[in-house]
Amino acid sequence: MNCTTEALPKGMLLAVEGQVDMHTSPELRGKLRETLERKSSPIVVDLTKVGFIDSSGLATLIEALQAVGKYGGRLRLFGLSPAVKNLFKLSNLISIFDIRDTREDAVR
Amino acid sequence: MSAPPDVTLEAHLPSHPRFLAFVRALAGEGAALAGFTDEDRDRIELAVVEGFSNIIRHGYGGRTDQRIEIRMRVPQGTFRIELDDWATFVDPSRIASRPLDDVRPGGLGVHLMRSTMDVVDYLKNRHGGTTLVMEKRRPPADGAAR
Repeated sequence: MNCTTEALPKGMLLAVEGQVDMHTSPELRGKLRETLERKSSPIVVDLTKVGFIDSSGLATLIEALQAVGKYGGRLRLFGLSPAVKNLFKLSNLISIFDIRDTREDAVR
Repeated sequence: MSAPPDVTLEAHLPSHPRFLAFVRALAGEGAALAGFTDEDRDRIELAVVEGFSNIIRHGYGGRTDQRIEIRMRVPQGTFRIELDDWATFVDPSRIASRPLDDVRPGGLGVHLMRSTMDVVDYLKNRHGGTTLVMEKRRPPADGAAR
């Protein structure tokens, strides 16, 4: 898994690539923690190049969502593949997260 | 082209999360051989990754040097996998997910396995550990069309 960050005019974008699972989610958690420590908002997570997320990846995103809420920030996701979107539906999280269709909409 | 032959595969892996990508690929290939759709293949991959991860996390308490044995059988129309551990057998009635409306990190693995597979069983094995059995059958109408 690769995870790169990009400063936005407002907030930060994290572009994730590869499989997010129990092995790789600590790296994503670390990157998210860096942006959370700066109290960035919105934090935009680009999942366009993620073909697979498991419950460890979901847990990492839930942690970030809760942490960003503590300082009144926002976390947005975009680029979910059908498989990843289905995982959010199965976990009843589709309405908990702010999921956008496009990058333009997510970074706005 | 004739249907692919039934496949049986056995593998022994260390209980290390670095093997999850391999385990996912294995499950995906098995699902494809059994004739599942891409959507069901995604679900099978998810269930198997969750099962393997749960053994590492809960069965072995995060130890990465233990042993997990995989047996996968894929006769046409069915995907069946058994994951053996050498940990302590836990009463299956004590294995549960968190309520879905209690949104917090963790506790979703068992829910995801049960919502994606037709069979999820925990059996005591001859090593004193647990055998996680998961099975998914292709819908009959899907099979009849082939």
